[in-house]
Amino acid sequence: MVAVGTIVWLGSEVMFFAGLFAIYFTLRSVSPDLWASQTPHLNVVYAGINTCVLVASSFTCQFGVFAAERLQPRRKSWKISEWGMVEWFFVTYVMGALFVIGQVFEYATLVSEGVRLDSSAYGSAFYLTTGFHALHVTGGLIAFLLVIGRAYAAKNFGHKEASSAIVVSYYWHFVDVVWIGLFAVIYLLK
Amino acid sequence: MRATVRLFWILSIFSFLLATVYTIWALFFNTELGIATKNGVASVEWVGSIGLALVGLLCALIAFYVGRTRQAQGGFELPEDRLDANIDDGDAEQGFFSPWSWWPLMLGISAGLVFLGLAIGFWICFIGIPFAVVSIVGLIYEYHRGYFAH
Repeated sequence: MVAVGTIVWLGSEVMFFAGLFAIYFTLRSVSPDLWASQTPHLNVVYAGINTCVLVASSFTCQFGVFAAERLQPRRKSWKISEWGMVEWFFVTYVMGALFVIGQVFEYATLVSEGVRLDSSAYGSAFYLTTGFHALHVTGGLIAFLLVIGRAYAAKNFGHKEASSAIVVSYYWHFVDVVWIGLFAVIYLLK
Repeated sequence: MRATVRLFWILSIFSFLLATVYTIWALFFNTELGIATKNGVASVEWVGSIGLALVGLLCALIAFYVGRTRQAQGGFELPEDRLDANIDDGDAEQGFFSPWSWWPLMLGISAGLVFLGLAIGFWICFIGIPFAVVSIVGLIYEYHRGYFAH
Protein backbone atom coordinates (compact mmCIF):
# COMPACT_ATOMS: atom_id res chain seq x y z
CA MET A 1 0.00 0.00 0.00
CA VAL A 2 2.75 2.47 1.00
CA ALA A 3 4.87 1.29 -1.92
CA VAL A 4 2.13 1.62 -4.54
CA GLY A 5 1.21 5.06 -3.18
CA THR A 6 4.83 6.14 -3.42
CA ILE A 7 5.02 5.01 -7.04
CA VAL A 8 1.84 6.93 -7.92
CA TRP A 9 3.29 10.01 -6.23
CA LEU A 10 6.56 9.54 -8.14
CA GLY A 11 4.41 9.49 -11.28
CA SER A 12 3.22 12.98 -10.39
CA GLU A 13 6.85 13.94 -9.80
CA VAL A 14 7.62 12.79 -13.35
CA MET A 15 5.11 15.37 -14.55
CA PHE A 16 6.66 18.06 -12.32
CA PHE A 17 10.01 17.50 -13.97
CA ALA A 18 8.28 17.28 -17.37
CA GLY A 19 7.33 20.93 -16.84
CA LEU A 20 10.92 21.85 -16.05
CA PHE A 21 12.28 19.96 -19.07
CA ALA A 22 9.65 21.68 -21.24
CA ILE A 23 10.77 25.11 -19.93
CA TYR A 24 14.38 24.28 -20.70
CA PHE A 25 13.82 22.97 -24.22
CA THR A 26 11.41 25.74 -25.20
CA LEU A 27 13.80 28.48 -24.07
CA ARG A 28 16.64 26.73 -25.85
CA SER A 29 14.71 26.42 -29.09
CA VAL A 30 13.76 30.13 -29.17
CA SER A 31 17.19 31.50 -28.23
CA PRO A 32 19.96 29.22 -29.54
CA ASP A 33 22.46 32.12 -29.56
CA LEU A 34 22.08 32.53 -25.80
CA TRP A 35 22.81 28.84 -25.31
CA ALA A 36 25.87 29.06 -27.57
CA SER A 37 27.25 31.92 -25.46
CA GLN A 38 26.38 30.56 -21.99
CA THR A 39 27.03 26.82 -22.11
CA PRO A 40 30.88 27.16 -22.32
CA HIS A 41 30.70 28.26 -18.66
CA LEU A 42 29.69 24.72 -17.69
CA ASN A 43 32.39 22.43 -16.32
CA VAL A 44 31.28 19.10 -17.76
CA VAL A 45 34.03 17.01 -16.15
CA TYR A 46 33.28 18.41 -12.69
CA ALA A 47 29.54 17.82 -13.10
CA GLY A 48 30.30 14.37 -14.50
CA ILE A 49 32.22 13.37 -11.38
CA ASN A 50 29.38 14.73 -9.28
CA THR A 51 26.95 12.65 -11.34
CA CYS A 52 29.03 9.51 -10.72
CA VAL A 53 28.83 10.14 -6.97
CA LEU A 54 25.04 10.35 -7.15
CA VAL A 55 24.72 7.25 -9.34
CA ALA A 56 27.00 5.30 -6.98
CA SER A 57 24.84 6.41 -4.06
CA SER A 58 21.89 4.67 -5.71
CA PHE A 59 23.83 1.40 -5.54
CA THR A 60 24.78 1.80 -1.88
CA CYS A 61 21.14 2.68 -1.20
CA GLN A 62 20.05 -0.54 -2.87
CA PHE A 63 22.46 -2.58 -0.72
CA GLY A 64 20.83 -0.89 2.27
CA VAL A 65 17.46 -2.05 0.97
CA PHE A 66 18.74 -5.63 0.63
CA ALA A 67 19.80 -5.45 4.28
CA ALA A 68 16.40 -4.04 5.25
CA GLU A 69 14.70 -6.89 3.40
CA ARG A 70 16.80 -9.30 5.46
CA LEU A 71 15.34 -7.34 8.42
CA GLN A 72 18.89 -6.52 9.48
CA PRO A 73 19.09 -2.90 10.66
CA ARG A 74 22.69 -2.90 11.86
CA ARG A 75 26.01 -4.52 11.02
CA LYS A 76 27.11 -7.86 12.45
CA SER A 77 30.72 -6.93 11.81
CA TRP A 78 32.65 -4.34 9.79
CA LYS A 79 32.91 -6.86 6.96
CA ILE A 80 31.09 -5.22 4.07
CA SER A 81 28.88 -8.25 3.38
CA GLU A 82 27.58 -8.12 6.94
CA TRP A 83 26.62 -4.46 6.94
CA GLY A 84 23.10 -3.58 7.98
CA MET A 85 20.72 -1.03 6.52
CA VAL A 86 21.97 1.76 8.77
CA GLU A 87 25.59 1.53 7.60
CA TRP A 88 24.65 1.49 3.93
CA PHE A 89 22.25 4.39 4.36
CA PHE A 90 24.91 6.43 6.15
CA VAL A 91 27.24 5.87 3.19
CA THR A 92 24.41 6.87 0.84
CA TYR A 93 23.73 9.95 2.93
CA VAL A 94 27.37 11.07 2.76
CA MET A 95 27.44 10.58 -1.02
CA GLY A 96 24.18 12.47 -1.49
CA ALA A 97 25.51 15.27 0.71
CA LEU A 98 28.73 15.35 -1.34
CA PHE A 99 26.61 15.76 -4.46
CA VAL A 100 24.74 18.73 -2.99
CA ILE A 101 28.00 20.30 -1.72
CA GLY A 102 29.51 19.80 -5.17
CA GLN A 103 26.56 21.57 -6.69
CA VAL A 104 26.85 24.48 -4.26
CA PHE A 105 30.46 25.01 -5.37
CA GLU A 106 29.39 24.70 -9.00
CA TYR A 107 26.72 27.37 -8.49
CA ALA A 108 29.25 29.64 -6.75
CA THR A 109 31.65 29.30 -9.70
CA LEU A 110 28.90 29.96 -12.25
CA VAL A 111 27.61 33.01 -10.36
CA SER A 112 31.14 34.41 -10.21
CA GLU A 113 31.28 34.00 -14.00
CA GLY A 114 28.04 35.93 -14.40
CA VAL A 115 25.54 33.09 -14.90
CA ARG A 116 22.81 34.01 -12.41
CA LEU A 117 19.15 33.18 -11.92
CA ASP A 118 18.28 36.68 -13.16
CA SER A 119 21.09 37.15 -15.69
CA SER A 120 19.35 35.59 -18.68
CA ALA A 121 16.83 32.98 -19.77
CA TYR A 122 19.68 30.48 -19.74
CA GLY A 123 20.48 31.20 -16.09
CA SER A 124 16.80 30.88 -15.16
CA ALA A 125 16.42 27.57 -16.98
CA PHE A 126 19.67 26.19 -15.56
CA TYR A 127 19.03 27.11 -11.94
CA LEU A 128 15.34 26.19 -12.01
CA THR A 129 15.95 22.68 -13.32
CA THR A 130 19.10 21.83 -11.35
CA GLY A 131 17.90 23.76 -8.28
CA PHE A 132 14.60 21.93 -8.01
CA HIS A 133 16.51 18.68 -8.43
CA ALA A 134 18.92 19.68 -5.66
CA LEU A 135 15.93 20.43 -3.42
CA HIS A 136 14.66 16.91 -4.12
CA VAL A 137 18.05 15.44 -3.22
CA THR A 138 18.04 17.43 0.02
CA GLY A 139 14.57 16.14 0.81
CA GLY A 140 15.84 12.62 0.18
CA LEU A 141 18.72 13.22 2.60
CA ILE A 142 16.25 14.24 5.31
CA ALA A 143 14.20 11.13 4.55
CA PHE A 144 17.32 8.97 4.96
CA LEU A 145 17.98 10.49 8.37
CA LEU A 146 14.39 9.78 9.45
CA VAL A 147 14.58 6.17 8.24
CA ILE A 148 17.96 5.64 9.95
CA GLY A 149 16.42 7.11 13.12
CA ARG A 150 13.55 4.64 12.84
CA ALA A 151 16.02 1.76 12.66
CA TYR A 152 17.56 2.93 15.93
CA ALA A 153 14.18 3.66 17.56
CA ALA A 154 12.68 0.25 16.78
CA LYS A 155 13.34 -2.48 19.30
CA ASN A 156 12.25 -5.02 16.70
CA PHE A 157 13.12 -4.03 13.16
CA GLY A 158 10.11 -5.36 11.28
CA HIS A 159 8.38 -5.10 7.91
CA LYS A 160 7.03 -1.64 8.72
CA GLU A 161 10.54 -0.26 9.14
CA ALA A 162 11.72 -2.19 6.08
CA SER A 163 8.93 -0.81 3.90
CA SER A 164 9.76 2.78 4.85
CA ALA A 165 13.37 2.08 3.85
CA ILE A 166 12.18 0.60 0.55
CA VAL A 167 9.98 3.55 -0.39
CA VAL A 168 12.76 6.02 0.42
CA SER A 169 14.98 4.00 -1.91
CA TYR A 170 12.33 4.26 -4.67
CA TYR A 171 12.40 8.01 -4.25
CA TRP A 172 16.20 8.08 -4.27
CA HIS A 173 16.45 6.02 -7.45
CA PHE A 174 13.86 8.28 -9.06
CA VAL A 175 15.82 11.41 -8.17
CA ASP A 176 18.96 9.72 -9.50
CA VAL A 177 17.32 8.86 -12.83
CA VAL A 178 15.99 12.41 -13.17
CA TRP A 179 19.51 13.72 -12.63
CA ILE A 180 20.88 11.44 -15.36
CA GLY A 181 18.25 12.97 -17.67
CA LEU A 182 19.10 16.50 -16.57
CA PHE A 183 22.84 15.86 -16.91
CA ALA A 184 22.41 14.51 -20.42
CA VAL A 185 20.22 17.44 -21.47
CA ILE A 186 22.12 20.28 -19.80
CA TYR A 187 25.74 19.16 -19.93
CA LEU A 188 25.99 16.74 -22.85
CA LEU A 189 23.48 18.14 -25.36
CA LYS A 190 24.19 21.75 -24.29
CA MET B 1 -5.32 -6.06 -10.73
CA ARG B 2 -4.81 -7.42 -14.21
CA ALA B 3 -7.31 -4.95 -15.64
CA THR B 4 -5.56 -2.02 -13.95
CA VAL B 5 -2.18 -3.10 -15.28
CA ARG B 6 -3.52 -3.46 -18.83
CA LEU B 7 -5.33 -0.13 -18.72
CA PHE B 8 -2.16 1.66 -17.70
CA TRP B 9 -0.10 -0.08 -20.40
CA ILE B 10 -2.71 0.95 -22.99
CA LEU B 11 -2.61 4.54 -21.72
CA SER B 12 1.17 4.46 -21.86
CA ILE B 13 1.32 3.21 -25.44
CA PHE B 14 -1.37 5.71 -26.44
CA SER B 15 0.59 8.61 -24.92
CA PHE B 16 3.86 7.62 -26.58
CA LEU B 17 2.01 7.28 -29.87
CA LEU B 18 0.46 10.73 -29.43
CA ALA B 19 3.86 12.19 -28.55
CA THR B 20 5.21 10.88 -31.86
CA VAL B 21 2.22 12.10 -33.85
CA TYR B 22 2.34 15.50 -32.16
CA THR B 23 6.06 15.92 -32.83
CA ILE B 24 5.65 15.05 -36.49
CA TRP B 25 2.63 17.34 -36.79
CA ALA B 26 4.49 20.26 -35.22
CA LEU B 27 7.46 19.63 -37.50
CA PHE B 28 5.76 19.25 -40.85
CA PHE B 29 2.12 20.25 -40.80
CA ASN B 30 1.73 23.12 -38.36
CA THR B 31 2.17 26.72 -39.47
CA GLU B 32 0.49 28.54 -36.60
CA LEU B 33 2.52 27.79 -33.49
CA GLY B 34 4.98 30.64 -33.04
CA ILE B 35 7.77 28.40 -31.83
CA ALA B 36 7.23 25.80 -34.47
CA THR B 37 7.97 28.10 -37.38
CA LYS B 38 11.09 29.96 -36.45
CA ASN B 39 12.48 31.84 -39.48
CA GLY B 40 10.23 29.77 -41.66
CA VAL B 41 12.01 26.59 -40.50
CA ALA B 42 9.79 24.22 -38.60
CA SER B 43 11.09 23.00 -35.25
CA VAL B 44 9.80 20.69 -32.57
CA GLU B 45 7.22 22.12 -30.18
CA TRP B 46 8.91 20.92 -27.01
CA VAL B 47 6.23 21.48 -24.36
CA GLY B 48 3.71 19.15 -25.96
CA SER B 49 6.22 16.54 -27.07
CA ILE B 50 7.91 16.27 -23.66
CA GLY B 51 4.62 16.47 -21.81
CA LEU B 52 3.02 13.66 -23.82
CA ALA B 53 6.11 11.45 -23.75
CA LEU B 54 6.41 11.77 -19.99
CA VAL B 55 2.69 11.06 -19.50
CA GLY B 56 3.55 7.83 -21.30
CA LEU B 57 6.42 7.26 -18.87
CA LEU B 58 4.14 7.99 -15.90
CA CYS B 59 1.62 5.38 -17.05
CA ALA B 60 4.39 2.88 -17.80
CA LEU B 61 5.84 3.38 -14.31
CA ILE B 62 2.49 2.70 -12.65
CA ALA B 63 1.66 -0.22 -14.97
CA PHE B 64 5.06 -1.80 -14.38
CA TYR B 65 4.91 -1.40 -10.62
CA VAL B 66 1.32 -2.56 -10.18
CA GLY B 67 2.21 -5.54 -12.37
CA ARG B 68 5.19 -6.31 -10.14
CA THR B 69 3.01 -5.99 -7.03
CA ARG B 70 0.47 -8.36 -8.54
CA GLN B 71 3.16 -10.95 -9.24
CA ALA B 72 4.59 -10.57 -5.74
CA GLN B 73 1.13 -11.28 -4.32
CA GLY B 74 0.85 -14.46 -6.36
CA GLY B 75 -1.33 -13.01 -9.11
CA PHE B 76 -4.62 -13.14 -7.25
CA GLU B 77 -7.35 -10.68 -8.25
CA LEU B 78 -8.71 -7.89 -6.03
CA PRO B 79 -12.41 -8.11 -5.16
CA GLU B 80 -12.90 -4.93 -7.23
CA ASP B 81 -11.96 -6.92 -10.34
CA ARG B 82 -14.27 -9.88 -9.70
CA LEU B 83 -17.85 -9.99 -10.88
CA ASP B 84 -18.83 -12.43 -8.12
CA ALA B 85 -17.30 -10.42 -5.25
CA ASN B 86 -19.28 -9.03 -2.35
CA ILE B 87 -18.71 -5.71 -0.56
CA ASP B 88 -17.31 -7.40 2.53
CA ASP B 89 -14.65 -9.24 0.50
CA GLY B 90 -12.83 -5.93 0.37
CA ASP B 91 -12.74 -5.26 4.11
CA ALA B 92 -9.33 -6.80 4.74
CA GLU B 93 -6.58 -4.53 6.05
CA GLN B 94 -5.88 -1.82 3.49
CA GLY B 95 -2.76 -0.46 5.13
CA PHE B 96 -1.67 1.13 8.34
CA PHE B 97 -3.41 4.39 9.25
CA SER B 98 -3.50 6.22 12.54
CA PRO B 99 -7.09 7.28 13.16
CA TRP B 100 -6.38 9.64 16.08
CA SER B 101 -3.07 11.20 15.12
CA TRP B 102 -2.82 15.00 15.23
CA TRP B 103 0.56 15.04 13.49
CA PRO B 104 -0.68 15.15 9.88
CA LEU B 105 -2.71 18.27 10.73
CA MET B 106 0.28 19.82 12.52
CA LEU B 107 2.54 19.00 9.58
CA GLY B 108 0.05 20.46 7.12
CA ILE B 109 -0.24 23.71 9.09
CA SER B 110 3.57 23.96 9.41
CA ALA B 111 4.06 23.39 5.69
CA GLY B 112 1.35 25.98 5.06
CA LEU B 113 3.24 28.48 7.24
CA VAL B 114 6.51 27.82 5.40
CA PHE B 115 4.92 28.33 1.98
CA LEU B 116 3.04 31.40 3.26
CA GLY B 117 6.46 32.73 4.28
CA LEU B 118 7.84 32.07 0.81
CA ALA B 119 4.88 33.89 -0.71
CA ILE B 120 4.53 37.02 1.43
CA GLY B 121 7.48 37.46 3.80
CA PHE B 122 10.40 35.22 4.55
CA TRP B 123 10.32 35.89 8.32
CA ILE B 124 7.24 33.66 8.59
CA CYS B 125 9.43 30.73 7.46
CA PHE B 126 11.52 31.13 10.61
CA ILE B 127 8.36 30.36 12.57
CA GLY B 128 7.17 27.66 10.21
CA ILE B 129 10.39 25.65 9.90
CA PRO B 130 10.74 24.73 13.63
CA PHE B 131 7.08 23.68 13.62
CA ALA B 132 7.69 21.58 10.52
CA VAL B 133 10.72 19.89 12.10
CA VAL B 134 8.81 19.01 15.27
CA SER B 135 5.77 17.84 13.27
CA ILE B 136 7.65 15.57 10.90
CA VAL B 137 9.63 13.97 13.72
CA GLY B 138 6.37 13.57 15.63
CA LEU B 139 4.67 11.95 12.64
CA ILE B 140 7.52 9.60 11.72
CA TYR B 141 8.24 8.46 15.28
CA GLU B 142 4.67 8.40 16.62
CA TYR B 143 4.70 4.59 16.68
CA HIS B 144 8.25 4.25 17.93
CA ARG B 145 8.00 5.81 21.36
CA GLY B 146 5.99 5.74 24.56
CA TYR B 147 3.07 3.35 24.67
CA PHE B 148 3.53 2.27 21.02
CA ALA B 149 7.26 1.57 21.15
CA HIS B 150 8.06 -1.70 19.48
